[in-house]
Amino acid sequence: MALSVEVPSQYGDVRECIQAAQRNLEQVKQLVARPSVEAGEAAAAILREVEVQLGCIAAIWKSQGVNADPELRSALEGIQREVGLLAELFAQTDRLLQSWIGAIQSKRAGYNGRGQTAPLVLVNRVSLEG
Amino acid sequence: MGSLFSALNTAADALSAFQQAIDVTQNNVANANSPGYAKQVPLMEAVDIQSANGVVGGVTEQTQDTRNAFADAAVQQQQSLLGEFQQLQTSLAPLQGILDVSSNSAIPSALTQLFQSFSQWSTQPSNATYQNAVISAAQNTAAAFQTVASQLNSASASTTKDLQSTVAQINQDAAQIQSYNASVAAGESNPGLSAQLESTLENLSNLADIQTLPGVGGTVTVLLGGQTPLVIGTQVDALQVGSDVANAVNGPPNATIVDSNGNDVTAQVTSGQLAGLLSVRNSLIPSLIGGGQQTGGLNTLAKSLADAVNNLLEQGSTTAVPPFQSGTALFSYNSAPPSGIAASLQVTTGFQPSQLAATDPGPPEVSNGIALKLAGLDTDPAGQINGLSFSQYFGSLAASVGNAVNSANTSAASQAQTLAQAKNLQQQLSGVSLDEEAVRLVQLQSSYQAASKVVTVVDQMTQALMNMIQ
Repeated sequence: MALSVEVPSQYGDVRECIQAAQRNLEQVKQLVARPSVEAGEAAAAILREVEVQLGCIAAIWKSQGVNADPELRSALEGIQREVGLLAELFAQTDRLLQSWIGAIQSKRAGYNGRGQTAPLVLVNRVSLEG
Repeated sequence: MGSLFSALNTAADALSAFQQAIDVTQNNVANANSPGYAKQVPLMEAVDIQSANGVVGGVTEQTQDTRNAFADAAVQQQQSLLGEFQQLQTSLAPLQGILDVSSNSAIPSALTQLFQSFSQWSTQPSNATYQNAVISAAQNTAAAFQTVASQLNSASASTTKDLQSTVAQINQDAAQIQSYNASVAAGESNPGLSAQLESTLENLSNLADIQTLPGVGGTVTVLLGGQTPLVIGTQVDALQVGSDVANAVNGPPNATIVDSNGNDVTAQVTSGQLAGLLSVRNSLIPSLIGGGQQTGGLNTLAKSLADAVNNLLEQGSTTAVPPFQSGTALFSYNSAPPSGIAASLQVTTGFQPSQLAATDPGPPEVSNGIALKLAGLDTDPAGQINGLSFSQYFGSLAASVGNAVNSANTSAASQAQTLAQAKNLQQQLSGVSLDEEAVRLVQLQSSYQAASKVVTVVDQMTQALMNMIQ
């Protein structure tokens, strides 16, 4: 999957960092709407870039003082909402997938001695002797 | 940045897409053991963001049916062949019991006793005990022929019943396919219906050789032997069992398969249980007990034995010295129709021991000449059928059934392997693997757990920035 991560022209500019983070979050939203391993990995990579961009803003504000521009505040609030929704989405997705994996494991391999579903063992390599 | 509404909308779409992806897995897992089910694969297409049109991205969800027409057709073809061989095994097994060649079984034992009684009688032709022993052995022989003929006729009648029930099953399956076509024509289509159809087609192919073709609007057309329509759209052309009365010269007519227009389509049935039954009903059993187009080996044997014994007795004399008095035929039978000879074989009504003609008037005259010839009849080349003695000829009849049973057993065993291979290929292409489904979900979960961890950090950082900006 071709990954397109938005990078600000200069990480020293708070406004550019916020705009890049916004665009990156839009991309993540698109990716999570397409449930696949590739989309999940791409979303994680883009979110790491968002993390860097937000880290830059924090560093700039710490060194140069906070710019309490209402426009920036509004943009930051928007990002917070988006990230909050994504965090909730990932948590729910994890629960959904975990339940189904458990259901399939119990159907496939039954339960262990403690009443939990038997673990699915993924075998990477098999050696046969004799 | 989109509005809160669009963000919620996208999140809802994303969760919905996950739910759809899971639904496919749920369907696959629930139907892992459903006959005829082909696994479904989710296909996801991302929708681009078009803020101007109010579209905020998302997903279009479709599922792909992994059913493979080639694999399904291969399974049906192999199933059809296995059905034929298994039916032959089932139908031939009782015949093997009827034509047992062991010395204790009816006909071989009766023949042995008959020739032994002739031999004993030849030592003292005027001995009443020996004469009675000959008549008793002849009665046992006739009874043995009658019993075997009756058993073979019962087997034939039972096969005819099986034919009728198989044709009824074929018509029932055709009606189910018609119902499927009606549902599809009404716009209904889902993996469950498709699995039901596949399962019915597999059952049907076990009964007869069928070809399936895609019909109008997703319906299925089913042809018998590639020619006779069984189902076209919502129309069923039911089959029936008929009789080839026109060619019934020697006995009961052959069974035929007739289409809905009354045409004889028997020749189009080349495999499946139906073909096995037709082969036993029209070919194998008539080769033994006779039918419309052949006399049958058992009738040939009964007639040859009776004629040979009767001819010798009629050539002989009941008196050892002139004037000679001709003997009387020991056996009688009804040769109209020829397929009824064995069933009607009996000792001539009212036959008396004194009517046994032991003397060969010659010249030279031999007082026990006919009795000796009768004792040696089974080994006399003059009395043989196709170069075989009576006992050997019966053995050849039994061997023909034994060979057919062996051939059916071997073919069924080998065909079962071939079918297993075809089903294996079908499973690889269309079957549901629980491991595969679980691995797919584990991989999906792992990839999203990584994103989840990062988004938690991003969430904390955003909160920290919000705290700084307050």
